[in-house]
Amino acid sequence: MEYFEPKTLSDALALLAQHGAEAKLIAGGTDVMVDIKFKEEPGSLVNIKKIPGLSGIKENGGGLSIGALTTIRELETNAILRDKLPVLWEAAHQFASLQVRNTATIGGNIGRASPSGETLAPLLVLDAKAKIAFTDGEKTEPFSSFFQGPGKTSMGTKGLLTAIEIPYPAAGSKGVYLKHAVRGAMDIAMVGVAVMLTPDSGKNQVQDVRIGLGAVAPTPLRAPKTEALLRGKPLTAALIKQAGALAASESSPISDQRSSAENRRWIVEALTRRGLEQTWKAATGKEVAS
Amino acid sequence: MSVTIHTTINGNAVSASAEASTSLLEFLRDTLEMKGSKLCCNTGECGACTVIYNGKPINTCVTMAADANGAEITTIEGLADGETLHPVQQAFIDTGAVQCGYCTPGFIMSVKSLLDRTTKPTAEDIEEAVSGNICRCTGYNKIVDAIHLAAARIAGRA
Amino acid sequence: MAKAEFKVIGTSPARMGGVERVIGKGVYGIDLMLKDQLHGAILRSQYAHAKIVSIDTSEAKALPGVHAVVTAADAPDVRYGRSYIDRYILARHKVRFMGDPVAAVAADTPAIAKQALKKIKVVYEPLPVLIDQEDAMRPDAPTLHDDMPLPKNLPEGVKVKNVCGFATVRVGDAEKAMAEADIVVDEVYETKMIHPQYLEPRIAAAQVEPNGRLTVWANAQAPFPVRQEVAKMLGLPLNNVRVISAELGGGFGGKGSGITSGAAVEPICALLAIKAKRPVMIVLDKAEETISTTIRSGAKMYIKTGVKKDGAIVARIGKVIYDAGGYSGFGVQAGGRCTNMLGGWYLMPNCHIDGYTVYTNKQVCGPVRGPGGPQAAFAVESHMDSIAARLGMDPAEFRLKNIPKAGDKIVGVPKLRDVSLGETIRIAKEKIGWGNVKLEKNQGIGMATGSWIESAGPGGGATIKINEDGSVTVHIGKIDMGTIPGFGIPLIVAEELGIPVSDVTVANVDTDASPWDAGTVGSRGILVSGTASRLAAIDARNQLFKMAARQLEASPEDLEIVDRQIRVRGTPSKSVSLATVATNAHTVIGEVIGRGYCDNLQLMAEEKAHGSSQPFTAHACIVEVSPDTGNVKILKYVAVHDIGQPIHKAAVEGQIEGATAMSIGQALCEQVVFDKDGRTMNPSFVDYLMPTINMMPRIETTLVEGYPGAGPYGAKGAGEIACVPPMACIANAIFNATGVRIKTLPLSPENVLRGLKEAGKA
Repeated sequence: MEYFEPKTLSDALALLAQHGAEAKLIAGGTDVMVDIKFKEEPGSLVNIKKIPGLSGIKENGGGLSIGALTTIRELETNAILRDKLPVLWEAAHQFASLQVRNTATIGGNIGRASPSGETLAPLLVLDAKAKIAFTDGEKTEPFSSFFQGPGKTSMGTKGLLTAIEIPYPAAGSKGVYLKHAVRGAMDIAMVGVAVMLTPDSGKNQVQDVRIGLGAVAPTPLRAPKTEALLRGKPLTAALIKQAGALAASESSPISDQRSSAENRRWIVEALTRRGLEQTWKAATGKEVAS
Repeated sequence: MSVTIHTTINGNAVSASAEASTSLLEFLRDTLEMKGSKLCCNTGECGACTVIYNGKPINTCVTMAADANGAEITTIEGLADGETLHPVQQAFIDTGAVQCGYCTPGFIMSVKSLLDRTTKPTAEDIEEAVSGNICRCTGYNKIVDAIHLAAARIAGRA
Repeated sequence: MAKAEFKVIGTSPARMGGVERVIGKGVYGIDLMLKDQLHGAILRSQYAHAKIVSIDTSEAKALPGVHAVVTAADAPDVRYGRSYIDRYILARHKVRFMGDPVAAVAADTPAIAKQALKKIKVVYEPLPVLIDQEDAMRPDAPTLHDDMPLPKNLPEGVKVKNVCGFATVRVGDAEKAMAEADIVVDEVYETKMIHPQYLEPRIAAAQVEPNGRLTVWANAQAPFPVRQEVAKMLGLPLNNVRVISAELGGGFGGKGSGITSGAAVEPICALLAIKAKRPVMIVLDKAEETISTTIRSGAKMYIKTGVKKDGAIVARIGKVIYDAGGYSGFGVQAGGRCTNMLGGWYLMPNCHIDGYTVYTNKQVCGPVRGPGGPQAAFAVESHMDSIAARLGMDPAEFRLKNIPKAGDKIVGVPKLRDVSLGETIRIAKEKIGWGNVKLEKNQGIGMATGSWIESAGPGGGATIKINEDGSVTVHIGKIDMGTIPGFGIPLIVAEELGIPVSDVTVANVDTDASPWDAGTVGSRGILVSGTASRLAAIDARNQLFKMAARQLEASPEDLEIVDRQIRVRGTPSKSVSLATVATNAHTVIGEVIGRGYCDNLQLMAEEKAHGSSQPFTAHACIVEVSPDTGNVKILKYVAVHDIGQPIHKAAVEGQIEGATAMSIGQALCEQVVFDKDGRTMNPSFVDYLMPTINMMPRIETTLVEGYPGAGPYGAKGAGEIACVPPMACIANAIFNATGVRIKTLPLSPENVLRGLKEAGKA
């Protein structure tokens, strides 16, 4: 296995261009090291942690810019992130163990593109965008089109994620990330549901709602029909029940060693309901009308 | 492909070569023959391999040895002060938290890191610090006792 | 605090070997490094059931850095096993589960060994795969072992296939009594395969010594059976094999090489060392362990009980179908235990239970912590609550109604000397707040009891050497995996000799020097080695007193040892140091060596005469169930145990807490998951889920005293018993919370949610 520690972004990109599918990027290593030990060593391993400027959380006029090499623990301990983007903070807070959070990066979690990746559904509900560098320039792409399948992203083998741009949600918005697991944060999510809700100014109706689902399709996804069902309406128990069932139908989970598909759909329904109840209460101060 | 690693372990400068694919755990155990950090799941799921790395507890099994260049690492072998055990080490012995002992070094490193931050850990703090450390022998009761005993002794309350 | 009559028994001094463990010394098998060692690796079957057509190792052998490649052809045509001698160390002709070893290599580095395995070409002819043990029993099922006969004791007319063990319990006339019962409850329970998942991977290391003898290092629970197995499998004289035990990072019965036909890594390693003419070390990885080493079997249990309206049990009829896996392993023993324990530990006037141990194409049953017991108890104790519900009786009262008393018999125990079961139930009720704790919505309370039969098994010995300085070295045949060598044994020896606990060293097992022992299994550590060590210490003390008596001009009966001085009781000035007497022995007999042994026949005779005292237990818990996701959280957990006189109190509590945790894991999150081809889908810790601290309640342990056991000072074994109740305890609390009875483990969120939905409650 060849090994490289590029010191600049352009060096890294040149290596990717040269080695193509043979090359594997490594950031924190909590996923890639397991591949190396249990599956195959790649032809070339490109360690990108020496590239400056790819880590850190900065406010950039109405939102946050998060460097791809920012660790999950750095996200978890960032007061601004916790305050302004709680749905992403909750994902960081339920991410594996402290040891793993100290090493794993948000860029790694995104690049891995596992449907159950903790940060992914939150990024979808936040309308976040990926800044991707290529040898011939940089592009910005919304995460809604970024994920293309398990382990596949629009970066292909030649792009390198440099940052994540997240606009602050509308004032009054509240978000939660609910992870279904047997034990807790340590598990890979059987289902992940991110909900962000913005009430109208009178706090009577749902002005906007975003629902992101993880581990229930080949990629993380939004639940657009469910969102459309809820927008402009006051939240009632009956509507929430309907929304839960609809969200479940928008997912296409598989059965695997962690869960059957049927159970995953039940959980999408349950956690969508919980997420709506919790965000509605947090945003309006009121319990859901029965 | 071989890489040379210059790092600081328990206050000592260490230089050695290893294959680039070597994990930090393999570097400690096989290259440096420091057996204190334990090999178990090799997937970052059990914490038996935990060390303190630039001030933070990490799983060495999923960390590249090559990344340790320039790092400051504290392993279980570096905690005692000569013959005097660190309070966390002593507390683990005193409460019976050491049964087979295989998870013990990893736990001690996680706990030391916790108690460096606070000597009044709440249940939530403890959960955060050691949810990534698995024990198969004790059921965790006596480990929790050890954490509280060590905290009290470090803070001078016991 | 020690009881007034004891100096140290019942206290909790620091563990012997604690310091090494907390400072990170390499005391475990996996920490070994032999000079010039090669790295060994094992190639395992890619099919759960297949004929081996051919194996071509030529490419592997030619790889630079490879020093040996072995297959079955390189070893004698000898099989191993326990009840059925049905297994080769490297598969010959057939593979029977997807972890079955087929070949092995020794190479300069682990990476080369891994490459070499890939270059071994095995041609298989796949055969139909049997996953479920009930399917495997059917007369039209494919045959897994062509040359293994059906058990001789199968009842007339029973047409089955793939059965390697049969056990039956017959008391009274169960069919007649069942017909006369007022109420009959008929249920089926099922448990799944779990892996003991000790944290330290299994290793073996071997080297041929200059004098031609073979030395094997093993982190195995039973070094003597390992010696036997290595010698037999490789055709070596027994005395040419020496096994040295490392200390173990957990075992739980899963590192019982030699005891079972589970995972004979040591003979494979020895074979490689002989062929390569270099030392070889094999280190399994944890994912490899899950698919290939011994497990706790799943069991399917049919249980039907008839009771009178007043709650008296009148009859039980049952059937156990126990999964042996690809080879018989410990399956027959565990299946037999499960069959017996399905009869419960209450008064059972009529009982008929048949138990079948069945071959399947999966991992092999090992003597994992309480083999057969937790499975049976899941059925028995859940079933007790189902019956109580039908009767409209409080589950604790129903149990108390059927408690045996001193002199009674229960299934598997012909005569009880005393019965602590009632007391454990009453204390568990009190500690959990049974009947008076306020439960919130979705919360429930449950209890389950348990028992264990520990006195059946081999004897064992101990020798104690009194060193010149008055310190003591103890030799027993049991190893340290957080068990008696570090805890109870030093206390017992210190107690009898009146010396500080820290003056006692328990040596690692070396088959050249230690007394033969069956190994650290079966909750027999304190019983066998504890008894033997106590008697050896008394023997040594008697010899010391005889020598000292002459010098002190006193009678040996008047002497005592205090503060490392042998002195006359009542006249402490008349004393001589223990060290002096020990040193003086050089000129007389050489050295004071105390010898003692636990006589198993004597134990059995005493039990027959006076009855046995079972280590009864009652657990109780409060849970909260999330009705929309099925998640179960344990809010409070109490474990009440009669383990006789605790020798090392913290050690006993630790065993109880740890065993409880292991069964909480089996209850809530653990199982080995298979696809239809017999492939394990969750081998690594990523998806084989064990309890982490955040999901564990604090286990509140209470020890009940007053029911002495057969062990030293009245001790009873504590290593396994706490595994028995937790699964039913939690299932009963879930039933109490939701009204839903879940009869298949695990009580995972999915299984609980499915149960709720099927009952229309979610």
